[in-house]
Amino acid sequence: MATLSTDVLVIGGGATGAGVAWDAALRGYDVVLVDRADLAEGTSGRFHGLIHSGGRYAVKDPDAAKECIHENRIIKRIAADCIEDVGGFFVTTPWDDPAYADRFIQGCRDTDVDCEEIDAAQALREEPLLNPDVSRVFRVPDANIDVWKTVWSMARGIQARGGRVLPYHAVVAIHRSGDQVTGARLRGAGTGEEIDVEARVTVNASGAWAGQVADMAGIEGVRVLPGRGIMIAMNHRLVNTCVNRCQMPTDGDIIVPIRTVCVIGTTDEHTEDPDDHTVYESEVDKMLDDGEKLVPGFRQARAMRVWTGVRPLFEDAKASDTETRDVTRAHALLDHAERDGVQGFVTITGGKLTTFRLMAEDTMTAVSKHLGDERPCTTATEPLPGSEAGEHYHLGERLSRKEARLADDQLICECELVPRWKLEEAVQRRATTNLDDIRRLLRLGMGPCQGGFCIYRATGILHGLDGLTAEQADESLLHFLQERWKGVWPILYGDQLRQARLDDWIFQGVLDVEHLPAAIPASQAEATAS
Amino acid sequence: MSGDGGMGGDGGMGGNGAMSGGVLEELMRGSLDHCVKCTICETQCPVSNVTPLFPGPKYAGPQAERYRVSGEPSVDSSVDYCSGCGICSMSCPQGVKIAEINSQARNRLKQQKGFPLRDRIITRPTWLGRAGTPVAPLANLTIDFKPFRIFGEKVLGVHRNAAAPEFAGRRFSTWAKKHPSPPTGKKIVYFHNCGTEYYEPWEGEKVMQILEHNGFEVVVPKQDCCGLPLQSSGLFDDARKVVLRLARALVPYVRDDPDTLIVGNATSCTLMLKREAREILSLEDDPDLKLVSERTYDICELLLELHDRGELKTDFNPVNEHIFYHAPCQQQGHWIGKPALELFALIPGLEVTEGNARCCGIAGTYGLKAEKYDIAMAVGADLFGQVKTSGASEVACDSETCRWQITHATGHKSVHPIDYLHRAYGL
Amino acid sequence: MRGELHYDAVVIGAGTAGLVAGARLAEGGARVCVLAKGVGSTHLAPATIDVLGYAPERVTSPSAAVEELVAARPDHPYARLGFDAIAEAVRWFSERVAAGPLPEYRYVGDVERNILLPTAVGVLRPSALVPETMAAGDAASRERVCIVGTRSLRDFHPALCAANLRRAGVDARSVDIEIDVDRADQNSLGLARRFDDPAWRAAFAGRLALKLQAHESVGLPAMLGLRDPHGAWSDVQHRLGRAVFEIPTLPPSVPGMRLYEILRSTLRRAGGRFVLGAEVVSCDRDGSRVVSVATRSAGHDAHYAAPWFVLASGGFGSGAIELDSRWATHDRILGLPLRGAPEPGAPRFVSDYLAEQPMARVGVAVDGELRAEGAENVMVAGAALPGAVPWREGSGEGIALASGSHAAQLVLARSGAPAGAAA
Repeated sequence: MATLSTDVLVIGGGATGAGVAWDAALRGYDVVLVDRADLAEGTSGRFHGLIHSGGRYAVKDPDAAKECIHENRIIKRIAADCIEDVGGFFVTTPWDDPAYADRFIQGCRDTDVDCEEIDAAQALREEPLLNPDVSRVFRVPDANIDVWKTVWSMARGIQARGGRVLPYHAVVAIHRSGDQVTGARLRGAGTGEEIDVEARVTVNASGAWAGQVADMAGIEGVRVLPGRGIMIAMNHRLVNTCVNRCQMPTDGDIIVPIRTVCVIGTTDEHTEDPDDHTVYESEVDKMLDDGEKLVPGFRQARAMRVWTGVRPLFEDAKASDTETRDVTRAHALLDHAERDGVQGFVTITGGKLTTFRLMAEDTMTAVSKHLGDERPCTTATEPLPGSEAGEHYHLGERLSRKEARLADDQLICECELVPRWKLEEAVQRRATTNLDDIRRLLRLGMGPCQGGFCIYRATGILHGLDGLTAEQADESLLHFLQERWKGVWPILYGDQLRQARLDDWIFQGVLDVEHLPAAIPASQAEATAS
Repeated sequence: MSGDGGMGGDGGMGGNGAMSGGVLEELMRGSLDHCVKCTICETQCPVSNVTPLFPGPKYAGPQAERYRVSGEPSVDSSVDYCSGCGICSMSCPQGVKIAEINSQARNRLKQQKGFPLRDRIITRPTWLGRAGTPVAPLANLTIDFKPFRIFGEKVLGVHRNAAAPEFAGRRFSTWAKKHPSPPTGKKIVYFHNCGTEYYEPWEGEKVMQILEHNGFEVVVPKQDCCGLPLQSSGLFDDARKVVLRLARALVPYVRDDPDTLIVGNATSCTLMLKREAREILSLEDDPDLKLVSERTYDICELLLELHDRGELKTDFNPVNEHIFYHAPCQQQGHWIGKPALELFALIPGLEVTEGNARCCGIAGTYGLKAEKYDIAMAVGADLFGQVKTSGASEVACDSETCRWQITHATGHKSVHPIDYLHRAYGL
Repeated sequence: MRGELHYDAVVIGAGTAGLVAGARLAEGGARVCVLAKGVGSTHLAPATIDVLGYAPERVTSPSAAVEELVAARPDHPYARLGFDAIAEAVRWFSERVAAGPLPEYRYVGDVERNILLPTAVGVLRPSALVPETMAAGDAASRERVCIVGTRSLRDFHPALCAANLRRAGVDARSVDIEIDVDRADQNSLGLARRFDDPAWRAAFAGRLALKLQAHESVGLPAMLGLRDPHGAWSDVQHRLGRAVFEIPTLPPSVPGMRLYEILRSTLRRAGGRFVLGAEVVSCDRDGSRVVSVATRSAGHDAHYAAPWFVLASGGFGSGAIELDSRWATHDRILGLPLRGAPEPGAPRFVSDYLAEQPMARVGVAVDGELRAEGAENVMVAGAALPGAVPWREGSGEGIALASGSHAAQLVLARSGAPAGAAA
């Protein structure tokens, strides 16, 4: 079996883990980053994409607010290409306590969160669909971030500095020698091949799964309460600004415009299992009702997709399981040498996406001490690969790229403007023909038609490209249809049901995929997924 | 930061809780949610089917609109190749307001890129008409004078070969003043449009005579352009001023009597009043325009309805002709089918070939433009071919700009459908 | 009332069912108007006449299978229509195609035996009648086939099609050919127009012939001409010296567009009226009768009054039947009661995408004569009917033709002298 040797092994390829590995690489350490699935497939990839201004915490959790605004400014510089600077509003709706607004302004002042009150009429001119009955509006520097782009930018940077990035490698054992963690054993998802990694320090950055990984190292009491929430992507941007309810944080109080959609979220249900992706109808109803409060007519707009994300809520002392929102959203760095007498192992969990860089810095500061040679952190100033020019993303970019080559680029996914050359290049670069991975990377099939047109095209192209057998191509197509359906049927009504019916006609009527030779039944398809 | 809703200030009419222009624009933009990407609009678009310069209605409309953020720069100039014919919206089985979304996107594009001088001139038939009418013989000579046309192409961007109509040398309104209708008590308001006023006053005379024959007292208010050419070229602020001025001119005649209608013979212009101005220019809230739009009828639409009620005089003499009928895009855009065909069926001896081509290509002023003329001629090629092989002697068509294009391309005479009724009545 | 026109019958919907109902009403002497919100489903479907393909196993003989189906599902439209009505409607359709505006174009096959044609992904799919341009793809012929595609057409992938056909026991291979196009985003319609040009066809056939082997028939994506498909297809066959067949693929469906042209022309030639862009937004009722419908036309609504209506407006796909965000279903056109929707609280969908979904069979509730419950002068036809899952069982056109014909026949039988304005 293969063995790798490294300074730092980072378990977990979400924003935090990738951030830790990036920080390590910049400090000149050798690093191996692993994830059991694709990068950013856990919590990072499953939330709405908001980079907080901190306003949300200005009253309830001032320390968190200070952290957020500080990091907000940094991320807008270092990950500029992944950020769309849409700005944010906090609005007092008829359902919100008007007195909170004054506490909000004060809280922002106290925590250095930029906050400017604007006239409701002005807000309505900028956002015509906003509830006309909002009484007060505050402008804050919210932004949205493309998490996959961010994580993959860091991965490229890590690889450029000699580090190794291994998605689809699950940790099956953590090696311990007495009270020293010495590394881990990995198993490759596709091949089943095992690799041993020897590491001087192992970082457990597996977010909502941190408790499970810590258990593998024989460390008890790392309690992460998964807080499951749903998010619904609406087919087009009903708003171009993040809109937050001006009240104590609660369910369904944010609409985030991100790329071509806007996302409403989220709910908060305790679950035992961080891989629990159930969507409850009551949650969907709640999100739609909450959407109506901010944007009247929300229920007539088209809901495109629903998905769940699991927040990692760290709890060190005993507390009630059920109301997870009130458990701290601050991050928790556990140095197991101090806490449990185990050397070479550090857990970072909790937190929110906005502070991923800070979490990574804190982690690497501790790791650096363990390695006995403290090197400075430069992640606050070093731009991510691709963000060197410091220019923010604009939504019109894909449209403008296609416009420049209007008659020359063959579009495969028309909704998301994905040209053929990009698909072919992604396959070569990432050595994968897993449509799911490609979907996440290119956003293929993530538009309104949910793959109705592009999936057959992409399958045909992939089959041609990579020596894929027809069986493999068919399996990949059917798997995609099944995965896509999971995110559609709980919010299937109105316009999206019209779309689903057309897609049924295409896949089952025109193509008759149900009768592909040995079509895999759903239960089997799910078992083979990731 | 997103700007002012992309409308240039408060587009609404203010006061009384009226909806802002931004909300009304969202009515068109919001319809993109109905798009299921079925491609039906692409199969019908006459422009994208002949040129790759226009990526097609599905692309330019509901698809690209998801990438447009109000206040941010426009990035897709290709939307300017949309001719505004509206066939896409009419064909869409899901009710996406495709042509309207395209129009609004073009407006934002033009606001940013600026409006060429040409677009400010050829979109004002009133100016051109008032300037050209008193000197019609000379003006008409220059229109046909090749060196002048080449100069015009280089300086203004109007294609040297584009079908430019001849000034009549007299104004319809002048004639109307001298020929008031006999009072019958059954009033109807005539919206005659710029084409009739400056280029084809005889059409207006025929319309009045037909209406009078059927017992109407025709009122011809002082009136001006409907603003459609300005809208088609993306000059929305000017278009709003012009169409609202027209609405204010017509509304006093219909406000007090619920039965008084407004009738027009130019199907593009009546469509502007009925629907396009309200939807595309986000003027849904203007009460005068709303009332005018509800009362406006196309002449064939009106006559057919009278006939359905048994109120149309049917004393038609035979007209032994074989004609070709082309329903302009903006006549079909009324969404009432083709009433002209039903009227033709009442005239003994009249043989009609119904064309099934999409568009003649002119699309108002689109086909006059130097960069679009060839596209327009390619768009119309199917129609022109059908006309030539039909064996028909004349072409009936409800819109004057289409008539001029058809004659330009085929050499066939082209008249409004009501000409045959006029002839059959023996007026 | 102002804005109102009178007819003997008004058809709502211009998909296959609506156009058939309208055409047969007009042929029977009724003054009929077909109101279309937009162009119908014809443009999206393969345009094969599917009577019954899967029940749930693959069907070889529709007549026997239909009999079994209606015994098991008495609420299926076929149970009310009967196989003879299906056969008659299909015969009528065949005759109209042959007499239609596309010279010499015809459908082949018969309702007693399904043909197995390849789909664009290489599955063999059963159909009863198919355009002559597709017929040579019948797997029963056991011919060697060469599936031909072009990189310019992103909507068809010959290698995948051929590979899956091989897995289904067909001796298939694939070939790619270069086609000069003016744009990268080419679709079947753009290519079909080229195939209407004899000179272009000759050049194409010349280039393709160089890549073919002996004794193999040729499968092309469905793009063999729009105006003259018979001419295009037989010309290419002749030049290649072997059987050629079209394979339907992603929309836009060129064979579907031909079908639309044929049916619309049949309607017009019989004197029927057709109004495009006319979305029905409300109706006037008098007790259990619909008196008139209003369409959103420009300016003011246009009203269409008639003693009989045919509701051929489609199901969820067209938005005529809606499931709203509070999970209630409605007929948006006439507000008629529906049948087949799950009870409130019961699952509407299941997580296995390829299983039959609980919402699949929802339609406008009808009596034994396919008249709408709650509106005695409204016939229901096509995808608006409950009880069927046409995209899974392969019955869409069979239901459309038979129910559209049935609606016309019932209305003609029950009508007295034509009402409305004198001609």
